Amino acid sequence: MTSIGTGYDLANSIFSPDGRNFQVEYAMKAVENGSTSIGIRCKDGIVLAAEKVITSKLLKQGANKRIATVDRHLGIVYSGMIPDGRHFVDRARDEARGWRDNYKTPISTKDLAGRMGGYMQAYTLYQSVRPFGITAIIGGYDSELDTPVEGEVGSGPSVGAGGKVEGKKHGGPFLYMVEPSGLYWGYYGAATGKGRQAAKAELEKLDLSSDGESSLTLEQAVKEAARIIYVAHDDNKDKEFELEMTWISGADGPTKGRHQEVPEALRKEAEKYAERMTAKDIEEEEETKEGGDKMEE
Amino acid sequence: MPGFDFSNYNRNAALHARGVPLPKATSTGTTIVGCIYDGGVVIAADTRATSGPIVADKNCEKLHFIAPNIWCAGAGTAADTEFTTALISSQLELHSLSTGRKPRVVTCMTMLKQHLFRYQGHIGAYLVVAGVDPTGTHLFTVHAHGSTDKLPYVTMGSGSLAAMSVFETQWKPQLNKEEAMKLCSQAIEAGIWNDLGSGSNVDLAVITPEKTTLHRGFVKPNERTQKLKSYKFKRGTTAVLNEKVIKKEEMGNYISVVELAEETPASGDKMEVDT
Amino acid sequence: MEFGTSGVLSEDGIHVDMDRLKKGEVNLGTSIMAVTFKDGVILGADSRTTTGAYIANRVTDKLTQVHDTIWCCRSGSAADTQAVADIVQYQLGLYHMVNGRPPTTQIAAAVFQEIAYANKDRLTAGLIIAGWDARHGGQVYNIPLGGSLHKQPYSIGGSGSTYIYGYCDANWKEGMEEAEAVAFVKEALKEAIKWDGSSGGVIRMVVLTEKGADRHLYLPDSDYKVRHQ
Repeated sequence: MTSIGTGYDLANSIFSPDGRNFQVEYAMKAVENGSTSIGIRCKDGIVLAAEKVITSKLLKQGANKRIATVDRHLGIVYSGMIPDGRHFVDRARDEARGWRDNYKTPISTKDLAGRMGGYMQAYTLYQSVRPFGITAIIGGYDSELDTPVEGEVGSGPSVGAGGKVEGKKHGGPFLYMVEPSGLYWGYYGAATGKGRQAAKAELEKLDLSSDGESSLTLEQAVKEAARIIYVAHDDNKDKEFELEMTWISGADGPTKGRHQEVPEALRKEAEKYAERMTAKDIEEEEETKEGGDKMEE
Repeated sequence: MPGFDFSNYNRNAALHARGVPLPKATSTGTTIVGCIYDGGVVIAADTRATSGPIVADKNCEKLHFIAPNIWCAGAGTAADTEFTTALISSQLELHSLSTGRKPRVVTCMTMLKQHLFRYQGHIGAYLVVAGVDPTGTHLFTVHAHGSTDKLPYVTMGSGSLAAMSVFETQWKPQLNKEEAMKLCSQAIEAGIWNDLGSGSNVDLAVITPEKTTLHRGFVKPNERTQKLKSYKFKRGTTAVLNEKVIKKEEMGNYISVVELAEETPASGDKMEVDT
Repeated sequence: MEFGTSGVLSEDGIHVDMDRLKKGEVNLGTSIMAVTFKDGVILGADSRTTTGAYIANRVTDKLTQVHDTIWCCRSGSAADTQAVADIVQYQLGLYHMVNGRPPTTQIAAAVFQEIAYANKDRLTAGLIIAGWDARHGGQVYNIPLGGSLHKQPYSIGGSGSTYIYGYCDANWKEGMEEAEAVAFVKEALKEAIKWDGSSGGVIRMVVLTEKGADRHLYLPDSDYKVRHQ
């Protein structure tokens, strides 16, 4: 035994005198060492992507998924302690199921994020538990159509319901990120895990917040997601990795409102694009190093 | 376990099927009414309690205290109205104490209906709930199965039809206190005279924001008067056929007598008092 | 509680009571309806409440609010439908607070149906749920005795409704103007009241649109011609 320390880091529900909860901060450390996860919200959908570092040649390719489906229209990817993430996903599925049982309609992404944020937060309050060692990215596409009550029979008048407020948009793609403290925010692009800094820098370059011509489409977002995972992996070059990607479109898009794995052909294409772009980046980098002014620190 | 035991219900059902008549619960054939007026509310009741064809009590009380500003008139099973109002009164006082607010009539009505609904009509309490609270003057009826109504004038019990006929012919909007009291009293009298289950006197309560006034025996139209003749039997009316006297000493011949020791008390321990 | 005369004890000792309403239970022998129209939805009802042959309340309000612009028409047992409506009102109020947005008519219908179906053996409740919300406009859901859920352009219910199936089928149109829809509901309920002994009293309506809830009251004194509220 070397040092006992201040003692303020020994349990949950104990604040340090300067108002910090060390257990939560240690949990965030666990996340920072986990492999990278990102989420992109573009105008017509959501893309979730995960870097899966191959720790053994014996692991089966494509098995051991890190992105989970929570409900038809909802997916979660997480970085940090995988078993904690599994439990988190289990709980999210319970919440989504519970909502469906009560209200006979799918849970909205916002409501699920709220419930899961609350769940995470509860694990920072008690002596008997430790905080979750993950940060989770929740992506979902809330139907823009009228959702019927599950189990209802018949339909209203054929002219449709009267008295709708025109020009209002309902539903759409949404992305949230939940941290070990229970903090959750909505994002256009979210990244967590080891390569989050590089990934965030790349995400910020994309046009995700506008609905205009220049804003990213879902298929572009898939390619960019692949590229960003490749970029984020760059610091970790010596290790091999697998790319896992899922996406969600609206009812008129390729996934018909469902959370699905990106089809193999598209994923391969995205990976090629990612390889090409990252290779180019490196070349450019080297060129600038040789030809340009010397960079000084 | 607190609460009700329904095991006899199944026994009664089985006996009933074999032709055994069912045991009778004491039910109060009753007339109760209530009426809102400008500035308060009046409730009234007759005072007859019946057990089958027998008048069990000629001057019972059917106006129940809930809170100083909330009163209930009860019809149906006598025990159920008594205990249900007492229970809700208690809960409402605790609620009032914990919230630091005056009890409200809607709160009382809601507690009553939820309690009665839980028991699916097995608690045979039919109530008129009236009172004045910070939100205004209120008058409700609550049926045994848990349904409620909100009306300016109400009647319940077996005499409700007779009483309602009075309201439906005499009632008008904007009554003053005296008019409302008279109307309620007349409605109860209609029950007393025309309903077999109702009788004796009129009890009446007036609830205003300032105070509640209970008029026990507001009208007594059935006072017992002096009997016209005496029905006492004269001494010696019954003939003595023979006579035998047994003295105290001879008691032992007929029953066993044990003399108790002087010091030991007849029964029980001595009471101890903390000093 | 006294036993109803319809009670039968079979040989296996099981007591079977075919009466849906228990003895002395307050009944809403009723005419209720709800119709969608161009700007929203209208609920309508008579006002008669009976215990056996006696009218326990001649000015009953069978149109019950469960949220700002979600209402229901109640038929069957007064106690059961009031209890169910109270529970739903609580649930929808909670939903609004917890989720920070008002419930849709679908949410209300789902909550109603869950209660009606889960307690189908114990409830005598025929409900019509009608509501307006910004996303879906005016909608009508019907929940009959067994607890099934039916989305309808318009719905009629209660004992009096049997007399107006033909009238409603012949006269209901899609996308009516408000005045037209009010007149349709009124005429239908007038017929139901005329032919059904268990229906009567005043006609109450609630019009649900973007502007909120608007109450109507029509009295038999003026042959339901004058709007009083």
